[in-house]
Amino acid sequence: MNALVQKSTASLDALKRIHPLMPWFASFVLLLPLPLLALNDYQIYLLNVICIMIILATGLNIVKGFCGQVTVGHVALYAIGAYTSGVLSVKFGVPFWFCLPAAIAVTMLAGALVGIPSFRLEGAYLALATLGFAQSVEIYIRVTNYLGSASGLGGIAPPSIGNFVFYDYFRYYYLVMPFMLIAVYASFAILRSATGRAFMAVREDALSAAATGVNVRRYKLIAFMLSAVYAGLAGSLFAHMVPGYVHPNNFTVIEMVTLLLMVVLGGIGNIWGGIIGAILVTIIADLTRDFYFYQLLMFGLVIVGTVLFMPKGIGGIIDRYFVSKRFVAAREKTAEQKRAEAAAAKSGES
Amino acid sequence: MLYDFLIVGLSIGILYGLVALGISLIYSGLDIVHFAHGEIFMFGAFFGLVLYDEAGFNYPITLFVAMILAGIMGVIIERVFYRRLTSQGGGYTVAGMGMIICGFGMAIILQNIAFLIWGANGRPMHVNFGMPVELGTITLPQSYVWILVVSVALMAVLHLFLKHTKLGLAIRAVAANKDIAYLMGVNVPLMISLIFGVACALAAAGGVLIAPINYVQVEMGYLMLIKAFAAAVVGGFGSLPGAILGGLMVGVFETLGAAYISGSHKDIYAFLLLIFVLMVRPTGLLGVAAKVKA
Repeated sequence: MNALVQKSTASLDALKRIHPLMPWFASFVLLLPLPLLALNDYQIYLLNVICIMIILATGLNIVKGFCGQVTVGHVALYAIGAYTSGVLSVKFGVPFWFCLPAAIAVTMLAGALVGIPSFRLEGAYLALATLGFAQSVEIYIRVTNYLGSASGLGGIAPPSIGNFVFYDYFRYYYLVMPFMLIAVYASFAILRSATGRAFMAVREDALSAAATGVNVRRYKLIAFMLSAVYAGLAGSLFAHMVPGYVHPNNFTVIEMVTLLLMVVLGGIGNIWGGIIGAILVTIIADLTRDFYFYQLLMFGLVIVGTVLFMPKGIGGIIDRYFVSKRFVAAREKTAEQKRAEAAAAKSGES
Repeated sequence: MLYDFLIVGLSIGILYGLVALGISLIYSGLDIVHFAHGEIFMFGAFFGLVLYDEAGFNYPITLFVAMILAGIMGVIIERVFYRRLTSQGGGYTVAGMGMIICGFGMAIILQNIAFLIWGANGRPMHVNFGMPVELGTITLPQSYVWILVVSVALMAVLHLFLKHTKLGLAIRAVAANKDIAYLMGVNVPLMISLIFGVACALAAAGGVLIAPINYVQVEMGYLMLIKAFAAAVVGGFGSLPGAILGGLMVGVFETLGAAYISGSHKDIYAFLLLIFVLMVRPTGLLGVAAKVKA
């Protein structure tokens, strides 16, 4: 196990030395043949869903993990993205490549609207306000005839490039997967940038961040808008996936809980954790489909259990593993140095 | 017509006030928002249903027993789950985010336990209150009279308890400053459990009172939480009279909106009012000063 980890980190470092983007390219190449390994169409569909969920969870991590704003209404932004894309495609016949930016723009505006209350609200206030927002969006979609109300919005055209139409799950994977990689890369880039540092300053202590010259309101708003961009992207990708059908049932409390579970289980503020959480939860949710009645109960128990006993999530465990490894390595290094010094001193004496 | 809507709005509103009172009480005592409070309300309604329809108690006894049961439930939840988190200290940074997420998870758990026990279908509570009361031109079903009378009585009792008993004084001391209350010999953990118990009992009373006019169903707690929270914020968070005032406002606003604008969007109005108040006057109507924390 240790040797394996060492080898993979070493090869990653080697790739990074060639070009900083090399590891991402390598993972792209590695992910390319994945649908060929799938046993049936359903598993390819799951792969697509996992990619969309990774985009969503990564976006949620920006506002929740980096910036420390508790929002539970992320699923509403996802719904807004999906419905904007769907309505543009169905009612106006706009092709996917225009629907996607439009959906992202509209969701970004909605994200800004959610973000504005965060100037004045913190913690639980914000959580409840966003919960109310999510609930209102779902109810609004359910009762508005223009949006298909309770019967859903169907007939959303699949995307195409020239004559190449992404009409089945296998082809769609090659659309979703690159978007997912770009999204994950972008979130790492944000975390490393000055904006990311400002987010973390706001998270740790808004007051001292403001005292050191971080415009707290601006960065809170930026965090909300960025995560909304992710939600809009995920929503649009979801809406255009075969069979091109969105329904209010896709954006209910269940999805809200699943999304929250992904981020919490993976570790809040940990990008890799969020990704692992998204993969794990999607697969587990699928495996336990037969126990549908108990699923939410189980998810709730896991959320509470994670918060109580493993507050840093899976990502925290992985982090600790690497940190302790580095710590052990550093200790061995100093011990070796001391031994060498002692040996040198001994030879000097004699 | 307008008076009918007003009466309906006021009686629904006072229920929102009752639940909001619990949320405000917990908030002022512990600096946390109890996310599973709507589910306690739902459990209270189900306790009432079981006690009245299946065990055959009469209505006042049902109300009383359901309140006690829900209070015990609240104490257990606080002792088993929240105690761990509050004892780790609770700022609202990422560490304190745990409290909110834990509450949210708790709400999901309780909702699904109720779903597994009682199923997803809404059930009516068949209470025969007798003839409606005539007040001039308005006829008022007795269930609304019960709601108004019981709610006001409960609020009065709570007020007397908090302001005129030694236990109430201890609770207020805990709300003001836990460390100093500890030094003065107040049993702070016990008081916190007591706060939780009283708040949950109030929510359960709301549930039993609404059961005769609405169907009792698993999903009723969720919207109640949002509306009661809206009521608490509109009135000023942490302020007990504010919670009642906010509840009345939300109830009237919602009923009038449903009557004159659009009935199918009824559940959105409370949220609109919440956002409006947060934008214009985040301290609420009776709030003293905005608490930055929480």
